[in-house]
Amino acid sequence: MKSKSLKQTLTIIAVVCAIGQGALYNGVIFNRWKADYAPKNGLSVGTGLDAQQYIFALSGFREMIAGILWVKADSFFDDGNYDAVLPLIRLVTLLDPKELDVYATGMWHIGYNFTDQDERSDRRYIPSALALGKEGIKNNPDTYEMYFETGWMWFNKIDDDYDQAVKYLQEASSKNDIEPARRNLLAQALIRDNKLDEALDLDSQLYDRAEELASSEGSYNNANNRDAVAGNWDNLIVRMAQRGDFAMKQGQKIYDAYPYDTKPPFDTQFSVKASVVEPRVLQIEGTYGVLSVGTRIRVDLRDSDYDADKAAELDWDGQSTVDLSPPKDRTFMQDQLYVKNRRFNKRIDMQQDPTMYPFVANNYVLEFFYNPRSAPEYIKDKFGFNGEGFTDSNFLNTTVRPGERCIYVKFNFTKDQLWRRGEWEDTVPTAQTKNFKEIAPTDSDKDVIFVPALRAGGK
Amino acid sequence: MRAIMAIAATTVGEAIRRKVLLIILLIGVLFLAVAPGLNTLSTQSETTVLKGMVLGIVQLTSAVIAIVLTVYMIPNEIERRTIYTIVSKPVQRWQFLIGKYLGAVGALGIMMLLMSLVMEITFFLQFQSGFKAEDALDLLRAPAMFFVQMSLLAAVAICFSTFVTPLVNFFLSGGLYLIGSLFAPFFDSLNQNSSTPMFAKLTARFVGVVLPNFSIYNVQNPIINPGQTIQNPTTYYMQVTGYGVLYIGLLLVLGIVILDRREV
Repeated sequence: MKSKSLKQTLTIIAVVCAIGQGALYNGVIFNRWKADYAPKNGLSVGTGLDAQQYIFALSGFREMIAGILWVKADSFFDDGNYDAVLPLIRLVTLLDPKELDVYATGMWHIGYNFTDQDERSDRRYIPSALALGKEGIKNNPDTYEMYFETGWMWFNKIDDDYDQAVKYLQEASSKNDIEPARRNLLAQALIRDNKLDEALDLDSQLYDRAEELASSEGSYNNANNRDAVAGNWDNLIVRMAQRGDFAMKQGQKIYDAYPYDTKPPFDTQFSVKASVVEPRVLQIEGTYGVLSVGTRIRVDLRDSDYDADKAAELDWDGQSTVDLSPPKDRTFMQDQLYVKNRRFNKRIDMQQDPTMYPFVANNYVLEFFYNPRSAPEYIKDKFGFNGEGFTDSNFLNTTVRPGERCIYVKFNFTKDQLWRRGEWEDTVPTAQTKNFKEIAPTDSDKDVIFVPALRAGGK
Repeated sequence: MRAIMAIAATTVGEAIRRKVLLIILLIGVLFLAVAPGLNTLSTQSETTVLKGMVLGIVQLTSAVIAIVLTVYMIPNEIERRTIYTIVSKPVQRWQFLIGKYLGAVGALGIMMLLMSLVMEITFFLQFQSGFKAEDALDLLRAPAMFFVQMSLLAAVAICFSTFVTPLVNFFLSGGLYLIGSLFAPFFDSLNQNSSTPMFAKLTARFVGVVLPNFSIYNVQNPIINPGQTIQNPTTYYMQVTGYGVLYIGLLLVLGIVILDRREV
């Protein structure tokens, strides 16, 4: 140092800089950085990244790594290598928890794309898909997208417990960035949840909003949405009138006085027989006296000790963290029985996919479930919004879904029966309802659809 | 001041003539130009992935340039003995070091500006009328913060260059950049973990204050994924820039003291 004063100046500068940067960092910057820019918790726990990727990701290149992995995931997806896509989706969402498209695609992929050879969805993945949706919501609470995607999964894929769909879609609708037409789904969810007055109010609000948008901005999409909302609103009013919902609000007397479409309740005369025709192969046949096409009856086979409170479904919402491997020892098969000419007949082969149907438990429950809330509108024209025009002299159930009128039948099978072992090696294990009658198939079953009239009692 | 500016101007001229830097820059620019080839995804992802990739390329290339540019700066002058012709004139060593640093930052700025320009052109060609002026400005926020980050990295490297060889400096500066980027998330994890002993927390806090924190400049996430609500980002940018300036000041003083005591 040439001069003492320079030395002093440098010392002062150094001290000021040292104290200043420390105070600035600890006093202000760290908390702001943590709240707005820091990697989320996922990166401090196991991510599946190797050491180089981990360091690279944390060094500020996590979005870049996420982008590369997402491109890689896309190529795996194109090749049909779905198993390889899952961990990549998980990694990308951990690296960049703000990338909504990966959450949305990930949910769809996990929830829809894992199937057996007959393209029957592996529904054991759905709790994971929902957990991913909930994580997406937690990381992106200010935008509508993950609320909407989660609501859509409840509405479309699970197609049950509609209050859950309503809950998420209400949240989505409350966000300003939601696309106007996407709000319409909430009204449909409210209808399935039997909240008709709320749906009516919502349609009215949606129409006002759509009309305003169409007038002020005038785009084709806005005009189209206005017309769609008007149609939905009209349909709901007409249906509520025809199905006697407005009359019921005025009292039972009014309802009784006029011939609404839901009267008298239609007896579906459900019957079913299930046989284990080969090891882990079920043949299911039965009758259902409803319109020739459009009716689907849910059938599921599950471990008998799994969550007895939940009939004909898994505990979809029971998982709070994303786990990409469903429980390997749990069996859960769910399918639809398509009714044609008031009969159904389906072979369900679970032999080819032992990872999806491990059959580890000793006892199983085979369930049949029909909820008119899920029916197409032309069937609900007779059955009503909540099954008021529907009954079954043998199997009507109002307890498995409190407040809802369903059909519910269950049979028990043992592991030996399903595997056709021991005493069942030469005997076909069969379970059937008391009212089941064998009906020989006819040639007309293949290509002729009979259309009965529901109003005349379905004769 | 004139001496500092003269040294800085000469340093910029030298830097932009160095082939190794130009090759790194060229590689970075080529990567930026081919980045839109990743447009295999949906519209939303395409934008997200492209932004993430392009900003990552700019940051990575800038970090390599910042280190390579500065690690040789002082040692080369000593090795080639050109430093004698400078310090024998009425130029103080502190002026020499600051001039060199400013020159390095100037050259770095020119190269980052070029990369940012290529980045903007890439986006414009990719999205054309969909890429508006406000999008272009929004995108520039990240390279602006990277510039402060790289200036800090250059200060680290130039400080080390006063007492270690270029090869050692390359690894030291690169290592410090990694640690400075890694430590904040790590410190955050330590703090969140209730089972971390108090001593470890305090040590982590101390090291957090002493080490330069590079991760605070990684502000690209809200730019890549729009729709996030960030309160007052401009204030944050000013705060981290202030932090960078103070830390650079500290490192330069340290460098000056070491260079001054060194036998040349």
